[in-house]
Amino acid sequence: MKDPLPFDHRPDLALGDALRRALDPGEEGHAAFIARVLARAEQVRVLSWDAVLARWARAGVAAALVVALAAGYVVGRTAAAPTAVRPSVPDVLIAPPAHPGEVEVVLASVIGNN
Amino acid sequence: MADLPPQPVRQVARIAQQDEAELVARAVAGERAAFGLLVERYAGVARRVARAVLGNAEDADDAAQDAMLSALVKLEQYDARRPFGPWLLRIVANAATDRRRRRSVRRVEPLDVGLTAGGPRPDTIAERRALNERLRLALAELPERRRMAVVLFDVEGYSHGEIALILGIPEGTVRSEVFHARRRLRVLLADWKEEG
Repeated sequence: MKDPLPFDHRPDLALGDALRRALDPGEEGHAAFIARVLARAEQVRVLSWDAVLARWARAGVAAALVVALAAGYVVGRTAAAPTAVRPSVPDVLIAPPAHPGEVEVVLASVIGNN
Repeated sequence: MADLPPQPVRQVARIAQQDEAELVARAVAGERAAFGLLVERYAGVARRVARAVLGNAEDADDAAQDAMLSALVKLEQYDARRPFGPWLLRIVANAATDRRRRRSVRRVEPLDVGLTAGGPRPDTIAERRALNERLRLALAELPERRRMAVVLFDVEGYSHGEIALILGIPEGTVRSEVFHARRRLRVLLADWKEEG
């Protein structure tokens, strides 16, 4: 291990090996660590799916609300619009004729035939 | 028949990068095995880097685990044109640093002079452990960024440029940090060799 040159660009293998041994947590811990991370990853996935579904649910509720409001508005407008009242039979019979001359013409022709 | 030229290191690195980009894409698509392979590939380096920052093995594992899970959540943000390792290790370094800040109440144990200033040659497993402990304590003496820089460079083999990306500092600063860390740690290792 020579005295280091400033900014030596090559890794120091001896120092690297010694540090690796000092920092390495060991092989058996390695497998357990991976298993733990993967188990937690499953939970994270489930949580993230829940978050996605929750986001969609919120959007769905908002969309349903808008649709309901729009439908309510349309129905309200339709109900509020003035509807033409259908005349009853007596009303039609009592009401003055729309074209006054027609009745007389019909009657005169009937009477004239007789 | 002409001899085939040796496969250049850069080409190998590029293949590894393509392979990792594909693994990430598969993991994003929800393939468990792909994420498992990434975890397996980077668990060692993530744990070592976290341990360099935190000192304590359990804390380091918790930080490395948090980082891996955080990376899983952010996986869609990863730019496949860049190498995956530095991207992940940046998350690991941040997770370890955050954890270190949060546990600031717990003081670092004072260095044992006997451990840092020499001791018996580690001929036995116990002595090897003592050397490892000395190195860890010596690392703990270094500023955090210096620690990470030397571990990433000399242990993990990342380039100065990649370490600059991981630590978010200029490349020149990385060189300087590695230089100063090595100077301190080499003294320790030289003492140990001379004692043998």
